[in-house]
This record gives sequence, structure tokens and C-alpha cells, in this order.
Amino acid sequence: MLKTTDLNAYYDQFHVLHQVSCEVHEGEVVLMLGPNGHGKSTLLKSICGLVHKVDGAIVYKGEAITRLSTEKLVNRGIIYIAENRELFGEMTVLENLKLGAYSRNARKAEKKNLARVFELFPRLATRKKQLASTMSGGEARMLAIARGLMSNADFLCIDEPSLGLQPNLRIEVFNIIREINRQGKTILLVEQNIPQIAELAGRIYVLEEGCITFEGTPEAAAREERLKEIFLGM
Amino acid sequence: MILEYLDVFISGLTNGSVYALMAVGLTLVYGVSKAFNFAYGSFYSLGGYFAWVLMVLVGLWGGYIVVFALAVPFLMGFGFVTEKLIIAPLRKRSDWEVKVMMITLGLALFMDNGFQVLFGPRMKSLPPLMEGAVSLGDIYIANQDIMIFVLSVSGILAFRWVLNNTRIGMAVRAVAQNPAGAKIVGIPKNRIFAATFGISTVMVGVGGILLAQKYFVSPMGGWDILVKSWVITAFGGMGSIRGGLLAAFILGMLEAFVGYWFGLSWVLFALFAVLLTTLAIRPQGLMGKWG
Repeated sequence: MLKTTDLNAYYDQFHVLHQVSCEVHEGEVVLMLGPNGHGKSTLLKSICGLVHKVDGAIVYKGEAITRLSTEKLVNRGIIYIAENRELFGEMTVLENLKLGAYSRNARKAEKKNLARVFELFPRLATRKKQLASTMSGGEARMLAIARGLMSNADFLCIDEPSLGLQPNLRIEVFNIIREINRQGKTILLVEQNIPQIAELAGRIYVLEEGCITFEGTPEAAAREERLKEIFLGM
Repeated sequence: MILEYLDVFISGLTNGSVYALMAVGLTLVYGVSKAFNFAYGSFYSLGGYFAWVLMVLVGLWGGYIVVFALAVPFLMGFGFVTEKLIIAPLRKRSDWEVKVMMITLGLALFMDNGFQVLFGPRMKSLPPLMEGAVSLGDIYIANQDIMIFVLSVSGILAFRWVLNNTRIGMAVRAVAQNPAGAKIVGIPKNRIFAATFGISTVMVGVGGILLAQKYFVSPMGGWDILVKSWVITAFGGMGSIRGGLLAAFILGMLEAFVGYWFGLSWVLFALFAVLLTTLAIRPQGLMGKWG
């Protein structure tokens, strides 16, 4: 469904991603692992048009999408769900969700997606009028994911959804991601909490110093001696 | 005595309402795109000249209704295109905020001199929006003042409604609150920047048409307005719409009463005295953030 070939990404003069080639098939959850600051988020952002300088090829549903604007990518069904959430703090939950459906592709399905999102996150339904800035970390995380779903995207790039959450909330987030995947969304996931998330993933990539150093199933990854360090957490 | 004060009060209220409309426009652009528009005063004059050309030079049939109907799209388009042509290209560069100030300052000089070449240095006057006055016992209120007040307040309310109830309004607030978040959800940020610039041009240009009836139109007449709008924006809090509204009415009143008691030459002195005192105590202005 999505494939990058020899993808390079740069922040100013820093060369962050080196010849990254990876692939996500339709309906899959692919987990991107690796130490902090080695380019995992940059990879997601490059795919979503949020990094200014990239070269190489990104192909989505058979079409080249490298260097398309985020606006166009959202319209084609690719959405980034940020680790720091990037909500609109002075707006209500409902307004945040409606803005999630800003793209043309999402507008026509807004009602349907809103109902689906409230079904998935009943707590948001009871807090429609609450300002996003007054929500707890867990609720804000749910809202960020919900806002992403409002875009009507088929392909979700979710960046460390469990960051800063208590263990019980992490499980809740992972269950939500499993449910979203079960409903047919393809997911590229960056995570640090490996033991809980590995069972969710169909395949795993390891990204170190901007290069892919491992690709395979969770079982194969667990057998790799040199990945133990990553698997045991940092 | 009381009646005279009432006159001064009404003048403060009328001017305050137009200042509010214009200050909201200036603060909107700053709040959304962090660009400070030094040509804001020239856009004010542009509105005035636009109305003068139609009303006096052309002698348009239909009067002010037609003028406003044509001015709004004209000003919107002018602002939109200006943003796209001279501000948007700068945004990709470093220190672009400073460069925007420089280029809009250049635009202001260009426009003001253009007005002088086209229309001459002499002031132009516009006929009142409405003749006559309303009398309530001993109190007379000019219809023109009532119209100015009603139109600027309606302008502000309409803007508020758009901001709170439409998709584009929500997008404008989203960009102001969190540009990164707005980009992620696929809001075309650049178009929003240009649109807000257009809306602010409408606000100040309409302000120019409204005030031209009381204060004439002249090539350099916009500078006073730029200074006042800026004082109101800083006094109310950069980027805060509610703060701007409050500040506009306070300063409108202050201007009217200082002018009445001490003479017009003390007005700017008093405005800056209030601004400096406020900023010394509350550097963020009356109401700090976007609201």
C-alpha cells in the first residue's frame, strides 16, 4: 500500500534518514522501532509531507507521492498523528474533531466518522464541549487519535501513542489501535513500549542512526541477539 | 455641561467602534500569521479613496450601499493578492517577520505616493452616510454617527460569527492556535494566511470609508490610523481579539475626552502614556493571548 525507496530526509544541514526503504501492506500494522533520535518520527513526518527536504521515492497506492503537500496527502487518505498531539487547545473536543475532517475527502464522511469515533471513544462523546487544553494526558491522546480518524484516512502514521501515559492507559490505547486496524485501517506505528505492542504488529522494522537495520516478524526480532537492548527498552 | 459630555461620549463611542473594527483586523493578521502589516494605514486610505472615486468622481448611482457592495470584494481581493505576491514568498526565509515589516513599510510609501500622484495632495471629503439627526429631548445624535456605529459593530459581529460558525473561521482559529496542528489535519495554511490578510484589508478599508465622512481622505492620512491601530493592538494584547475590542473602546473614549478637555494635540500623547503605563505593568497587554 505504501512503499519508500532510498528515502533521504534532512533537517537544515542534518542528514537524518539514509536510503530508507520500507513497505507497509494494506491492512497491516507495521512497527517502527529504534532508539530515540534515530529518525523514526522523521520517517513518519517525511511520508506525511511534514519534512521540507526529502529525496528518494514514496509510492502510495501505486502513485508517487514524494514531496506532495500535507494537504494533498491528507486528501488522499494519509494522516499523521503526532506524539505531542498538536491539538487546538482553546477549542472544544467537537471543534477539534470537526477540524480533523477539514480535507475534501473527509468532509463527505464527517457525520459517519463522528459517530464511529464516539463509538470508539465514548468518553469524548460526553465531553464534546470541553476545551482540549483542559483534558488529561490520556484523554488528549485519545482526542488526537480520534481527530486523525476524522480525516477518513486509510493509512495512519501514529507517532508514539503511549508516550507519557500510565500503564493502564497504554493498554487502552493499544486496544484502540487494534480495533482501528480490525476496522480496516493500515497503520505505521512508532513505539517505545515494545513488549505490549509487539503482538499487535505484523512486521517490525528497526531504524538506527537513520538506516533500516532489521526487518522481519516480531518472533524473528525477538530471536535477534543484537536487538535485545531495544526490546528490553531504553 | 452634561449634554456636552454626552456629545463627547458619543464621539468616543463612534470612533471607538471603528477603531475596534480596524484593530481587530490588525490583530487578526498578527495572531494568525505573526506578520505585522505596516501598510495597514494605507489600506485605510485605499478604502477612503475607493469610496471617493465611486461617490464623487464617478457619481455612482445607488450611493453607499453600492459602494460597500463593491468595496468588500475589492478590498478582499486586494488584500489576498498582496499577501500572495509580496508576503507569502518571504515566509520561507529566515527572519521573515522583520522582512515583512520592511516590505509592507515600502508598500505603504508606494501606495501613499501613488495616492498623491493620482488624487493630489488635497484632502477629499465624502458625503455623510445619512443626513439629519435623531433628537431625544435636548439630545441630538447625528444619523451619520449612528450609522457609523451600527455598521462597524455589525462588521465586528459578522466577523465573530464567521470565526465561530464557519469552516473557514474554524480553520483561521486553528492556524492561530497551533500552526503545526493545522498543517497536520490538512488545512491549507498559506491560503488561510492570504484569506485573513484579505479580511483584515476589508476591515480597515471599510473603517476608512466610515471615518472618511468625518475626517476626510488624504494621501498620508493612514499613518495616524496605523499608529492608533497598533497602540490598540499592543494595549489590548497582541493577537487577542477581545483585548483589541476593549482597548479600542477605552482609547476611543480617552481620545474624545482628552481632545475635549486639553485639545486634540494631546490625544496621541495620552494614548502613548496609557500604552506605556499598561505595558510597564502588564507587558502582554490587557488580555494576553488569542481569545
